[in-house]
Amino acid sequence: MIVCRNTIFIHSMFHNALRRLGLIAVSLSIWVAGAAGANAQDWIKTGTGLGVEKIRIAVTDFKASSQDPKNTELLKTFNDTLWNDLSNAGIFEMVSKSFYPLGQIGAPADVKFESWSAPPPNAAMLVFGNMGASANTLTMQGWLYDVKNAQSPQVLGKQYTDTATLQAARVIAHKFADEIIFRLGGGINGIAETQIYYVRGSSGHKEIWAMDYDGANQHPVTTLGTISLSPHISPDGSRLAFSSFSGSGWEIRMFSFDLNRLVSFPRYGGTNLSPAWSPEGGRLAFSSSRSGDPEIYVVDQSGGNLHRITNSKGPDVSPVWNRKTGSELAWVSGRTGLPQIYTMGADGTNVQQMTDQGYAVSPAWSPNGQFLAFSWMRHYGPGAPGAEDIYIMDVASKQWVQLTHDGGRNDFPSWAPDGRHIVFQSNRSGSLQIWTMLADGTNQKQVTTSGANSEPDWSWK
Amino acid sequence: MASGEIFFEHESWGRNLAWSAALHGAFTLAIIIYAWIAGSGHGSNWGAGGGGSAMGVTLVSSVPLPANPVQTQSVLASESKGLSQSKPQAQVEEPKAIPIPEKNAKKKPAPQPTATQRKPQPQPAEEASNVVPYGEGGPPTGHYSLFDAGGAKGGISLSGGGGDFGSRFSWYVRVVNQKVSENWLKYEVDPRIQAANRVYVTFDIDRSGRPSHVEVEQSSGVPSLDMSAVRALQRIDTFGPLPPDYSGSKVSVEFWFDYKR
Repeated sequence: MIVCRNTIFIHSMFHNALRRLGLIAVSLSIWVAGAAGANAQDWIKTGTGLGVEKIRIAVTDFKASSQDPKNTELLKTFNDTLWNDLSNAGIFEMVSKSFYPLGQIGAPADVKFESWSAPPPNAAMLVFGNMGASANTLTMQGWLYDVKNAQSPQVLGKQYTDTATLQAARVIAHKFADEIIFRLGGGINGIAETQIYYVRGSSGHKEIWAMDYDGANQHPVTTLGTISLSPHISPDGSRLAFSSFSGSGWEIRMFSFDLNRLVSFPRYGGTNLSPAWSPEGGRLAFSSSRSGDPEIYVVDQSGGNLHRITNSKGPDVSPVWNRKTGSELAWVSGRTGLPQIYTMGADGTNVQQMTDQGYAVSPAWSPNGQFLAFSWMRHYGPGAPGAEDIYIMDVASKQWVQLTHDGGRNDFPSWAPDGRHIVFQSNRSGSLQIWTMLADGTNQKQVTTSGANSEPDWSWK
Repeated sequence: MASGEIFFEHESWGRNLAWSAALHGAFTLAIIIYAWIAGSGHGSNWGAGGGGSAMGVTLVSSVPLPANPVQTQSVLASESKGLSQSKPQAQVEEPKAIPIPEKNAKKKPAPQPTATQRKPQPQPAEEASNVVPYGEGGPPTGHYSLFDAGGAKGGISLSGGGGDFGSRFSWYVRVVNQKVSENWLKYEVDPRIQAANRVYVTFDIDRSGRPSHVEVEQSSGVPSLDMSAVRALQRIDTFGPLPPDYSGSKVSVEFWFDYKR
């Protein structure tokens, strides 16, 4: 009996202990959870297959904030430029202005969320603001609102001031558009302030020119009076390398924007063409026939430390660096006969062939290092249609997409720094002009109209 | 003793030799003729089609741009509300039944329809405020929304998480979604896989927008799919800085990948 009682006693003690332990454990866990809850950061849960589409953005005309007579012209330039920059960005679906509710918006108090987020506008984002000149100073206030979220709608609120000129209005519009694209496009800068460098002129006399990415502000850079080709701007935008024909043949020349003149660059002998900047700006690759057969050479940005990295029969031309890593080059080689695109390490090792049919030239590496854009005549030879089109190829898998289909001759593609746009030359309009398009081949638009314009190169920022 | 018999017999070399030479000659001639026929495909026709079997002719799976808008049923936007539920059932009312007074209490009355009306049909549920009326649905947008792309349905949900980041900054969630989807290269997954379970990957986004601490929270069971999901995250440098209004130092993301070939 005593034994039983003891056992029972022990059991009950045990149970008591367990219960106490349980209580302690429970209270501990509550405490831990509470502490964790207090420090809990925010969570986002989302996934693939959710069909992310282009953002529907409504861009209202900015309201005049002062009574200056210059306002109408300034506002028109500003509104047009802002609209064009956002619709060219490639990430927005612009809500047509015919769907906008009536009444001008100039300040946050004017915004009625339901009228923007409900159909017909059905917008996700709204851009509005005001701008006005007073005593030769232009002031702009702009907002980007998430109209689906009436509690905390503001994504951006910016104010800009500048002189009251058309060019300043355009620059402010570019800056504001770039801010919006940066915010909504995932941290990639917009291209509204980038430049395109290109060759202008026809046989006998070609100079290097520059223009805004939308074709505005075209102006000459070089006035050498000879033939200058393949302009390539340095990554920091301070120098332009190009090849030019002088008395001693084709040489690499360097133009400095800081000094606004040509600066000296060594002459290597032979025919030296198509200089290309490495992404850190310290090296140049180009093709030179100084040894008899065109090969790829690499030099420092001052022209010293020349060394050769290809060594095969057949021309090796048009080198471009991998813009992401700076440790690989793509170039065109005729070592198997017709020109094909190859890649190799920056020391010349690990040569890989990327194309194996037709006639492939002008490679351009995308800023994220993933794609090569190039010009390809996939069907080459007697009886072939002779169309030269822009293609992009995924470097790792060698899968490609054809971007242009119009049957003309499209060449010299160059990537914009956002990786979403490509500029190229095309003769489809009858004369050789410069065109831009989105990297999926849509939205092809002509950027130059007069003269003969070719070999575009998009700036790095 | 060993006797070596040396046979001086003249073998008839001539005929065998002649046969051998003839067959050798014929064989050599056949090789030359074959080489000439088969080799005539080279030369100026080289490079004109025919080649390319070593290079894939399939198309790039991801070009760095958001998808084009999905074509929806609705074409015109209109003011009319449209119907999203069936018309309410017509109320069926029983005529008020008056019990026939009993003449004879013994006779049990036949079962009468009850005096009261049949219970009215329940009113149709109140139209939820986020239901898209029929005929007007463009791509639905909002913080809590359903997306439909190619039959795969999914949603952004904030249940079980902490904080209100998703409701305040739904545009940032959208950016995260788009960037990861763009950078996910499906060809990295083993080509023999047709469909797989979801793989859940968690990572943090710091204030500058950089993803870090990428981990597979729940594997799909397919190692190549898990690796391709992690690589997608590693390819991304930044999602863009976190919104300045947000006070936290980082955001945690749980991202799922649905793979279907």
